[in-house]
Amino acid sequence: MQDEESLVRRAQKHDQEAFAQLYEEYFDRIYRYITLKIGDAVEAEDLTQQVFLNSLRSISSFKWRGRPFSAWLYRIAHNQVVDHLRKKKRTDVPLEENLVSGGDNPQLAAERKLDIEGVLSAAQQLTEAQREVISLRFTSELSIAQVAEVMGKSQGAVKALQHSGIAALRRALIVTENE
Amino acid sequence: MERLLVKGESLEQCLERYPGQAAELKPLLETALAAREASAIQPRPDFRARARYQFRSALKETAAGKSRSSWGWFPRWATVVAIVLVLVLAGGGTVFAADSSMPDSSLYSVKLATEQVRLTLTPSQMGKARLCAELADRRVTEIAYMANKGDVQQVELITQRLDEKLDLLVVLIEGRGGVSLPGILPAASPPEEAGLTPAPTTTSPTTEYTPPVPTTTPPPSDEEPMPPVAITGPGKDWGGRDDTAQNGNQAQLRNTLVTDAASNRAVLRAALDEVPESAREALRRALAVSEDGYEEALDALE
Repeated sequence: MQDEESLVRRAQKHDQEAFAQLYEEYFDRIYRYITLKIGDAVEAEDLTQQVFLNSLRSISSFKWRGRPFSAWLYRIAHNQVVDHLRKKKRTDVPLEENLVSGGDNPQLAAERKLDIEGVLSAAQQLTEAQREVISLRFTSELSIAQVAEVMGKSQGAVKALQHSGIAALRRALIVTENE
Repeated sequence: MERLLVKGESLEQCLERYPGQAAELKPLLETALAAREASAIQPRPDFRARARYQFRSALKETAAGKSRSSWGWFPRWATVVAIVLVLVLAGGGTVFAADSSMPDSSLYSVKLATEQVRLTLTPSQMGKARLCAELADRRVTEIAYMANKGDVQQVELITQRLDEKLDLLVVLIEGRGGVSLPGILPAASPPEEAGLTPAPTTTSPTTEYTPPVPTTTPPPSDEEPMPPVAITGPGKDWGGRDDTAQNGNQAQLRNTLVTDAASNRAVLRAALDEVPESAREALRRALAVSEDGYEEALDALE
């Protein structure tokens, strides 16, 4: 991808190709982030679309002030999730088979599906801040520094939340396995 | 954690670095790996295609909204008339919903009919050329969408429509005069298929063609051909009142085509990795049609 700052500036001037590149770059990551946050792969689809439509409408308001574009985009996604959860109580929907990449190996795909379902379910037991850190770190592949930017917290605070989040996730996974 | 997740070290390597804390670290690192496994979640291909299409439509609407003022009142008027016409024929909600419909939707024929009305009522050659480019762009998205579904027949049919649109684009750019041009426009499924009242043929403006026949494949004979579009003749009504305006419009169209050619090539190539094996050959043909068509259109602008 081209230099992100120049892409964003072009997108702000309604350069369709530039915005399309940003979309392709972030689409999967935003989808995974939302899926882990709400624990529902189907509802995450609508929310993901809405995030990009909202970003299209409001990109002119984005200002480069040392914060990356991704921080702004994840903030939109975060707000979308908060609105969604406020409106609707979460319901469990099984993961669809084709959400899980297992190549040509059905057994591997089935195992991954179980793993992912377990993590999605366990992630709902975390605090909001822990889940935010885990989502950003593990499904969106952001660094500690980037997560700190997105959340507006110090890197130390993010590391602490990551540690407590993983410990809580571990406990929740063990409970799930024992049930 | 960074060593495990970012630097790619194995669990064992990480634990060897901190032997005194290995017992405490091991379950946490295993959990971190499990959480990373969640990144195996991939959007469903049909959702990805649908979302991409809707986003690109929204992008175009936004861009059109910004550039409309430079086009004066007439394109807006033409669009309004087109919408009103199809509203009369098919109903407003239907038209609105049809605009983003895909070929597997019953509303798709309404979408094609609406496009046809817009094309017919757009007054200038430049306006028609720009609309042709927009419609070609839509066809590419539809091809990727149907290829993702493994519908080879639809991919081939829409590829034919794409070819027709790009051919018409070249004709419009060159402003060729001469022969009538039947059947160049897409043959939408008859409205009856979508449960709609058939459009009376007398309400669709039928005008004469002056350019020569391009090398396009006629629509399938079992589909009712749409009325032809007016092309005003060589060099006329290219959208500008003087040479400067005309050159500006041409440059604008060239930029659009360069962008569309690149983005559509990228869309179709990306789709090649995602579609079922059975649809790949049809998709490769669509890619070739797209690349050749845009190249020819850009050559015509030189």
